[in-house]
Amino acid sequence: MRTRHMFALLAGTALALGLQPAAAQVVEGAKLGTEEPHTTITLGEPDPHWVYVVDPVFPHLIASKVYVVDGDTQEYLGMFNTGYVPNIVLAHDKSGIFTTETYWSRGARGERTDVVTFYDPRTLSPTDEVVLPNGRFLVVPKKQDADLSTDGRYLFSFNMDPSMAVSVVDVKEKRHVADIDLPGCSLVFPTGPKSFVSLCPDGSFASVRFDESGKAEVEEGQPFFDGENDPVFEHPAMHRPSGQAFFVSYEGQVFPVELKDGAATHGESWSLLGEADKSEAWRPGGWQLASFHAATNRLFVLMHQGGKWTHKHAGAEVWVYDTEKRERIARVPLEEHAISVAVTQDDEPLLFTLSEAASMSVFDATSFEHKGDRGSLGDSPFLLHVFGE
Amino acid sequence: MIGKGLDRLVEGMSRRIAQRSSRRSFVSRLGMAVAGGVALPILPVDRRGQIKMAHAEEFAKTAQTTDMTACNYWRYCSSDGYLCSCCGGTYNQCPPGSQPSPTSWVGTCINPDDGQAYLIAYRDCCGKDSCGQCACLGLEGEYPSYRSELNNDIIWCFGAPTMVYHCSSAVLIGKA
Repeated sequence: MRTRHMFALLAGTALALGLQPAAAQVVEGAKLGTEEPHTTITLGEPDPHWVYVVDPVFPHLIASKVYVVDGDTQEYLGMFNTGYVPNIVLAHDKSGIFTTETYWSRGARGERTDVVTFYDPRTLSPTDEVVLPNGRFLVVPKKQDADLSTDGRYLFSFNMDPSMAVSVVDVKEKRHVADIDLPGCSLVFPTGPKSFVSLCPDGSFASVRFDESGKAEVEEGQPFFDGENDPVFEHPAMHRPSGQAFFVSYEGQVFPVELKDGAATHGESWSLLGEADKSEAWRPGGWQLASFHAATNRLFVLMHQGGKWTHKHAGAEVWVYDTEKRERIARVPLEEHAISVAVTQDDEPLLFTLSEAASMSVFDATSFEHKGDRGSLGDSPFLLHVFGE
Repeated sequence: MIGKGLDRLVEGMSRRIAQRSSRRSFVSRLGMAVAGGVALPILPVDRRGQIKMAHAEEFAKTAQTTDMTACNYWRYCSSDGYLCSCCGGTYNQCPPGSQPSPTSWVGTCINPDDGQAYLIAYRDCCGKDSCGQCACLGLEGEYPSYRSELNNDIIWCFGAPTMVYHCSSAVLIGKA
């Protein structure tokens, strides 16, 4: 550090004195030439195998980051800064990345601003913003704190202050449309161009439809799981283009839900666990613990061995299920136990697992071959996003 | 300290939370009360003691009552975050310059010395960036955030001067 500081000082002094730059002193025959440009890289269109990793940076929560990693090479492609406990939402057409962020004017103090920031995925730089006048939900980030309407026109940002509401932002016209009050329900799962559902404490969805002015109708549903004795995790395995979602409960029950046409339609529930699995105390757990590959109907779930109330423990294995047959087809052991999992949606899908040691492992999501690892991924990476999910 | 009046209020909250249709108006009222400077110490509490006792028993098997800077200190059975006890504060005192939140969720922990269950309010200390010392994750009786009154991922700084999370405290508010 000290050497670098002195070098900078010397360089500055040399310029100030009008001395010749070092390049002019290159000896005859040097291969590197005498000067070179200093530019900024622009990324191409996002590749299906790129993954966007949200790091809330627990030791410095006001300074969260998002890293972009190429799954094929595990190369670090770039990053952007996202304020306090952010969420990111990937545009369906790959044209943008929307982030919901919170800032204070003087770092950890001063005036609070909540904002939806528009990022260009090629430059990883902000291009626009819309202020959220009534704030947003401040929590260790969960993906369904924010999402897009099925047509990509509206961004929904859940808020709890501590009453519950969803802020609606028109990302085309770049304006805040309205805040829609919820009857004690949380998070947001899009069901249409102007509709979404939220999870309620009793195990039901509240179904919301709104018009262009933001005027909304809220309809309460019937419980589909036992919110008291076996709650579902907040992170379902979701495939937005088809509206398929699989909610997983603490005790390993799967609740298939179709999120489309303005409603949530429930399929028949089934269990991840056979009798042998139960006797060995296997159970689902972690943070973003499940992911779904739509083209092959494969559900990926992080599993560990433990008792009740170990629901956030890292997974020792990924269990892979065929959701049509409701059968397990593979167990993928993890060298680094993982809290989050994601699968890409292309024909040669990759499986990403994120460890508590700030590293990410990459597998072929069809053969389950381990393809590589990316270490040193910030302080506390927690969420994985891929385009097309 | 929990007085009889507040105790009745808490019981009333529990009943109301069971009726989801009234939840929204109830939470709105609570928010207003906090904004008005009435320091309600807790958000709605589920006090079905039998269930909560079962939650707390596993943690209590390895819990201790002497070192409040360790994750297995008995009060931290459901605590998530940096212990204020390692950040210049204690389980019920905020570190210098940070402010106690008047709101929290409430867990139930067993004190292994007397085998009794106590209500612990997981009120955050707020107003500075995260402390970064002694990260602990207790999960006893912890529910997803759509059961907000039982979730430890939420920044529990509602009603504090700012929503900037600094550290987690664990304040005794009654017997379960």
